[in-house]
Amino acid sequence: MKPYKLICQLVCFVSLLVGCSATTTIDEYRPTNQPIFIAESEKVVVLGRRDSGHYETDREFISCVTDKVNSANINVVPEQMFIDAIYPWFEPRTAPKGLPRLKRLMQDPTVREKVDYLGIRYLVWLDGSTETLSQGGSMSCAIGPGGGGCFGFAQWDKLSTYEATVWDLTDLIEKGRLRVDSEGTSYLIGAVAPIPLLTPVKSDACSSLGNQLKTFFVVNE
Amino acid sequence: MKIRKIPNISFLFAGLMFLASCSSTAIVEIDTSFPAVLSQPKVLSAVIVFDDEFVSYVGKPNENTSVSIGKAQVDLLKNAFSGLFTTIEFESSIDNLNTDSGIIITPSVQQIQVSTPSEHYLNVFEVWIKYNLKIETADGRLIANWFMPAYGKTPDVFMSSKEKAIEQATIIALRDAGAKLLLDFYRIPALNQWLAAQPKGSNS
Repeated sequence: MKPYKLICQLVCFVSLLVGCSATTTIDEYRPTNQPIFIAESEKVVVLGRRDSGHYETDREFISCVTDKVNSANINVVPEQMFIDAIYPWFEPRTAPKGLPRLKRLMQDPTVREKVDYLGIRYLVWLDGSTETLSQGGSMSCAIGPGGGGCFGFAQWDKLSTYEATVWDLTDLIEKGRLRVDSEGTSYLIGAVAPIPLLTPVKSDACSSLGNQLKTFFVVNE
Repeated sequence: MKIRKIPNISFLFAGLMFLASCSSTAIVEIDTSFPAVLSQPKVLSAVIVFDDEFVSYVGKPNENTSVSIGKAQVDLLKNAFSGLFTTIEFESSIDNLNTDSGIIITPSVQQIQVSTPSEHYLNVFEVWIKYNLKIETADGRLIANWFMPAYGKTPDVFMSSKEKAIEQATIIALRDAGAKLLLDFYRIPALNQWLAAQPKGSNS
């Protein structure tokens, strides 16, 4: 009887953990099958889009993707350093939204000179956000002289959607696009103490996007 | 009896401190440096007049909030104007001027507005700064009164405090003012017409 009970508990626990995993889909577009070659002296900058009214790509996500790309021996210039060095041409109001505007900007000798001085070859735009889609259940907590506790059950669905676009600052062309959608449900169980079972939706999106982006680049030694 | 009174007073004091920390008053002072602008200035001379009101400007968007941006906006505009003109002078009053060429620009703040998450459905703090640039010739003829709005917002509401969030949004708004100035200054129609009418080779 005892082993049967233990197996049941184990199955329940594993089911709970499985329920907390995110479903991630990656779409990739590249004009050619050729990898993007980058010399050791050349650098990449990862920038977040901040021109939308209701959201902006958060710095935490950009920093996470930057770390992933950096781990593949690719030199990455920190976002704020690049924005400050080239001020005011990559502020939310002035940042180029498409290649025609980038081409015009790079015709400015002062901008071209600065980009060359910084050694930046590729620019990766990240655009997206993480949103809570739906939530359900209820949880109530109470405290009294004899103690307190929470009872109930709550759940919420989160969706992370991010798109990365790679621009070549030398040839002034688009080198590829990546889109990641990561969705998952988190739970909060109130059994005296609240037990959170969180699905790392954004973290999954970052890992998937960062790892896929790394495969875009091949370092020329 | 005495022993019981001391904790009571302590609790009262702690309670008042807690309530004071919950008040919605925000006093923000912007004291940050801005990056140098990357721009090729035009061969023109200009005098920028930063009067006392502008240098020590404190905006009061509502009765609970005050934003001191005087020093920061002077630093920002000095930097931004140096990307527009090759020859530039900064003065504190239009009465002290001793120039017979170029243009004279007097910036002023028309209004500063702050919007907090409790006032709208967005989860961010927003700041608008509305500037006016009075552009005149050296002989005092008005070329244009240019309205220059600037906007900044926080990435989200999860900042350490209301003051910190307004400070962050104001810094972004000031950077936006610099960007707007460099992007649109030479697109002001009246200024363009005036520049086109100047004799070629003169630095106006």
